[in-house]
Amino acid sequence: MLTSFVSDYVRYVLKGGTKFYAWMGSLAVLILGMLYVFYLQNTDGLIVTGMTSQIHDGLYFANLVFLVGVAAGAVTIVFPAYAYHHEGMHKVAVLGEMLAITAVIMVMMFVFAHMGRPDRLWHMVPPWGIYSFSSMLGWDVMVLNGYLILNIVCGFYYLWCKYTGNPLNKKWFMPVVWIAIVWALSIHTVTAFLISTMPARPMWFHSMMPIRFITTAFAAGPALIILIFLIVRKNTKFWVDDSAIKLLTTIVTWCLGIAIFLTLSEVVVELYARTEHANGLYYLMFGLHGLTKLVPWFWSAIVLMIGAFILFLIPSFRNDFTKLPIACAMAFAGIWIEKGMGLIVPGFIPTPIGEVTEYYPSFVEVMMTLGIWAFGFFILTILLKGAIGILLGDIKFGDSKTVAAAAK
Amino acid sequence: MTLSNTSLADPTREQSSECPVQPASADPSTAVLKTSRRDFLKTGGMLSMSSLMGTAALMTQSDDAHAAVEWAEHFQKNYRLMTDKEKDEARLRLEKRYSFEYGKQVSVDTTEAQPGVLMGYALNIRKCIGCRRCVHACVAENNQSRGKQRAGEKIEWIQVLRMERGKFDQEKMNHGYPEGLGIQVGGNAYTPAGQVLEGQYHYNPEKVPEEDANYMPIACMQCEKPPCVKVCPVRTTYREPDGVVVIDYNWCIGCRMCMGACPYWARRINVTNPVLPKEEMNPVTHYLGNRPRMRGVVEKCHWCLQRSRHNRYPACVEVCPVGARKFGNLLDPESEVSLILQRKNVFRLKAELNTFPKFFYFYD
Amino acid sequence: MKKFATYALVLALSGSALYTVIAAEKTAEPAQEQAAPAEPLVCFESRKGASEITQQDIKPGWPNVKCSPTTGAALWYGDPFEGTVPMGKMPLLDKIPEGHALVKPRSEKLALMPMCSTACHNGVGPQFTPPTLPKDKRPTPIPTMAAMVPDLQDLQHGRGRIWCMDCHHTTKRNMLVDNFGDPVSFDQPQLLCGKCHGDKMRDWRDGIHGKRIGEFTTGGKKRWFTCTECHNPHNVQDGNRNKGFVQLQPEPSPQLAKGMKDAKHELVHPVPH
Repeated sequence: MLTSFVSDYVRYVLKGGTKFYAWMGSLAVLILGMLYVFYLQNTDGLIVTGMTSQIHDGLYFANLVFLVGVAAGAVTIVFPAYAYHHEGMHKVAVLGEMLAITAVIMVMMFVFAHMGRPDRLWHMVPPWGIYSFSSMLGWDVMVLNGYLILNIVCGFYYLWCKYTGNPLNKKWFMPVVWIAIVWALSIHTVTAFLISTMPARPMWFHSMMPIRFITTAFAAGPALIILIFLIVRKNTKFWVDDSAIKLLTTIVTWCLGIAIFLTLSEVVVELYARTEHANGLYYLMFGLHGLTKLVPWFWSAIVLMIGAFILFLIPSFRNDFTKLPIACAMAFAGIWIEKGMGLIVPGFIPTPIGEVTEYYPSFVEVMMTLGIWAFGFFILTILLKGAIGILLGDIKFGDSKTVAAAAK
Repeated sequence: MTLSNTSLADPTREQSSECPVQPASADPSTAVLKTSRRDFLKTGGMLSMSSLMGTAALMTQSDDAHAAVEWAEHFQKNYRLMTDKEKDEARLRLEKRYSFEYGKQVSVDTTEAQPGVLMGYALNIRKCIGCRRCVHACVAENNQSRGKQRAGEKIEWIQVLRMERGKFDQEKMNHGYPEGLGIQVGGNAYTPAGQVLEGQYHYNPEKVPEEDANYMPIACMQCEKPPCVKVCPVRTTYREPDGVVVIDYNWCIGCRMCMGACPYWARRINVTNPVLPKEEMNPVTHYLGNRPRMRGVVEKCHWCLQRSRHNRYPACVEVCPVGARKFGNLLDPESEVSLILQRKNVFRLKAELNTFPKFFYFYD
Repeated sequence: MKKFATYALVLALSGSALYTVIAAEKTAEPAQEQAAPAEPLVCFESRKGASEITQQDIKPGWPNVKCSPTTGAALWYGDPFEGTVPMGKMPLLDKIPEGHALVKPRSEKLALMPMCSTACHNGVGPQFTPPTLPKDKRPTPIPTMAAMVPDLQDLQHGRGRIWCMDCHHTTKRNMLVDNFGDPVSFDQPQLLCGKCHGDKMRDWRDGIHGKRIGEFTTGGKKRWFTCTECHNPHNVQDGNRNKGFVQLQPEPSPQLAKGMKDAKHELVHPVPH
């Protein structure tokens, strides 16, 4: 039965129209590019990136942090679905779990890209390696893997039941779902702790970091999910309820608002006294020592975030599903800039002993990032397509129609 | 080197025959593209196999003699958990590899910490003239990468900070501070004076010390409560019993968490394969000390373990022309470092971070 | 579709073949730098004009010293005890085992001084008991002598309160002198300098002032740097610098980080003033 599930799933996913193959084909090209630059990084070393001993976390770490947020953001679907029995959300909860799986896989790929020696990552896995209980990175790897397993279990068990027509065994399924919901918060909190527990980095060393991470995650994640749902509506026979999208819109609005408020409070606190500890933020906002590479990025992120927030507040705008994608894209982009490069790179400027340098990503880093995002979307398309097929009933166990079903 | 073993010769050969042939569809949108699952599987499979094979081929060593040694080295354990026999094997492997790579007899020492020794360091900041000889002595001793072609190929563990001496001008007295933000509450007290971490690292005057400058070299503080050790996910960096914080270069995964956590910016990453000419390589090495590193691992000052475990001063101490650097056993009350702690005005950098460095600054 | 796939496959295979060739080149031995340019064979230790070392190999591939190609300063000691002799008796340093306190002798470098003392300033010539010294306790310029020690005329040491004979023996000019009139060897200047600079002497004896290389353990074998190896006794003031140590050329600055064209931004203060 398991083999037929897998083969039915795969067969269903592989069938598609021109648009589908064009999409997957272009993603595959980017993925090939990623493989090439990964080879470059592992023979020549990180010198092919823009990273230095001074600024040693760049585009990869920024994307890694952002994507953990997106993965955690999937909980905004699952939680209302199960805790509030939100009908509209309940129908699409499994799609959120698919996104979570994809996002965690992308995070792991960025970890591989970021490491100086990815061939030695087994050193972290007992019994061959050592697990360090004091290291936040160790905890992060553990909770991310746990979250991946939880989502795979929850999501695919749900799909399996739909596929076979069996009822869900709620006795163990519901506790696992609750654990997954709480775990989602923990993955992002641990990621925040990763950077906020280092007094050497005063820009990050404040207790606001975890809540900033959670709110921006719950703004960016659902924004992406809204976009995905609208695309799913347009390109498949699966209809996502208006209520689900409207609830996500509400969540984005409030979380974006809190995120902006937290950014504002950070700016006020740091710049009021303007100690040397504020140098990182000052570099981001106004430039330091005459070096201003990130200044336009920061201000565009602010414009995007505040603009998106205002648009989300306007009912006529947020209820119009042709205009909503604009606001979602703005929020997503703004948060990506501000939480990604806008958070990670200035943390290293200046170094703890006052040296100021600048960073810009090299071609290798851009190619790798695009490739990993492409890989993520590749996996996401496969997972969502199969999940939607099962939800629609196109894939059923023992059904001959499954063989002939073609999805557009 | 084999590149691919997928069946590429005959593209028409069927790969999977489980699924029946798809009937021609009446749907006009699918009429244009007569693709079958079989084709997609075949082509997708060929593409992915060839790219994977290619990638795998590229990542293996091209030199067979190297391969055997590198394989064993790759799978060795964390140094601290090795038995004595495994440590010996690791040492011999490394000696063989380094001797081959550098064309001279290289020794890799594995001397343990001596009992009753806790190493400490003191630096007299009144004396430092900013000549940077300590920086270059360290490089002469410790086999760092020293390429000149690309940025990141030259690694130096010590950085010398040049700070200007502050002064206060009558003209600026009541102007208020120049930053445009906010209500003026003070005078122009912004001229840096005293120990501030605002300064230059790339100074290059004709002669040092300059009239208006102070100098302060900074390297690993060998903390008693090292933040770098706490954040290492694989426990490759740890504090040895004689107080030195060391790195097992073969175990480091290059995650750079330690570099983020260090408040003194003491650690460096090898961004590429180290550039180390054979003539400049120091053949007397220690496993945890100055043996040549590899791409992607972190390195830092370790108080010249290859010397200090045999009771010799580190290279930076020996070369300082003004005798600003002092090193010794903190547990020995007659060592110069202990006497400095007893008699001189001693402070630590960033003491409020509770890292408890064993590198002290003093002035007399 | 098949056509596309076949082309792509051919491309991938040829690409892989090409990459393998490039990989073989890239994973070859690390880039060989040119052999180090001709280094100065003689480098100075603390200051120019004081002790110097000639570079040579003690063992194959193991030099006695590594010199800086930029400044000619000694950067690294292969053998810290080369050319040293035992320090001789020092008060309060008698707990050091025999032969573990070493200095580099200066008396060997005093080429002319023995001649001075035997030829002229030997207390034998015309009656010199007590020695006939200039009444104003200033050196008398004699054309043949003035060129030998240029700093004589306006001694930059003590601000006019000391003169030559406070340190140099009157009749044995290859020796220094203590307050009792007894000679002090040039290899033990600390016995003389410590007369006035007592706290420096105490710190030097404990290893806090000055420099020692060798074994850091108490009682370990060390080469001690004596006072005159770092300080020029005829010119400690060096104008108004009052540093006790002359200025010298620094070693080169660190490599610029990736992405930085120059370090000019360091001259701009982050907080304007």
